Amino acid sequence: MTPNWPVPGLDPVRRLRVLAAGISGAALAERVIPLPFDRLWGIVSDLEHELGTFEVDMRDITLREVDGRLEAHARGRLGFRARFDVQLEPGWCWMQSRFLMIGIAAVPVPNGTLVAATGGFRLPGRAALFPIGVRRANAHALARLARRAAQP
Amino acid sequence: MPDDDLAVLVRSAQGGDTMAMSELLARLTPYAARVCGPIALADGPDATQETLIAVFRNLRSLKDPAACHGWVRAIAVRESVRLARRSARSIPVDRLDHIPSRGDIEQATDVSDVLARLTPEHRAVIVLRDVEGLDEAQAAELLALPVGTVKSRLHRARDNFRKAWGV
Repeated sequence: MTPNWPVPGLDPVRRLRVLAAGISGAALAERVIPLPFDRLWGIVSDLEHELGTFEVDMRDITLREVDGRLEAHARGRLGFRARFDVQLEPGWCWMQSRFLMIGIAAVPVPNGTLVAATGGFRLPGRAALFPIGVRRANAHALARLARRAAQP
Repeated sequence: MPDDDLAVLVRSAQGGDTMAMSELLARLTPYAARVCGPIALADGPDATQETLIAVFRNLRSLKDPAACHGWVRAIAVRESVRLARRSARSIPVDRLDHIPSRGDIEQATDVSDVLARLTPEHRAVIVLRDVEGLDEAQAAELLALPVGTVKSRLHRARDNFRKAWGV
């Protein structure tokens, strides 16, 4: 008989904490939003229509699948254009362009959904972000997401 | 995952590719959890998270990607024992040779209950032997114990375990 060893999982928010810890200069913001996970993730994962409502630097996002991988083409508020590699699955969104990185994770909690966000401007050739203002920017993104989630 | 593919992923992650980091994390998580769970028990999710944080904070120090799993295993054992000792959820046994054999573990109906009656250090020996398949010398090296200590703990355990839990 094979023993049933206890093996824990790593939920998406814990996963984001790990990745943020491995990226120099990255900061993680976390917030409980009083909306069921399915409804909240329905908003977050609709990147083409919703990402710009809480990540305000992102505009005109178009997703497409290339060789089995998801990529996004976006235009920034200041007009820059960028191509992002995208990982998108329930509770998990990770996006990276040459100069930007965005991570969002969510898990259900008793009073709603715990959402975590990280991201910022990448420093070339290293797992590192330009460290100025990242904590405040991530917290503001989650505040905007909470306001969006409060709308019908 | 073939070792060559893992090595490529580690190199890309070390080079600052966060997509590769995310993919590497997905690959390493089940392995870390398999080591952390039976040692840390209720603290398993925390131990897995702390293990992987230590892995990714120090990823650039891993010189040989082929050694990745052994490196993660050593960190996982250390973090699991540390967290389990801190929470003091285990019920310590008073004899260091009190480690159930592989057969005893396999016969136990609730392995978590058996593990909870052992100290974190005992659980670490069991995991290295029964989950990771290490021999006494390898386990001793990883736990920084004399090989004779690990060997005697393992070999003298069966009778004590059976008396305690009647399996």
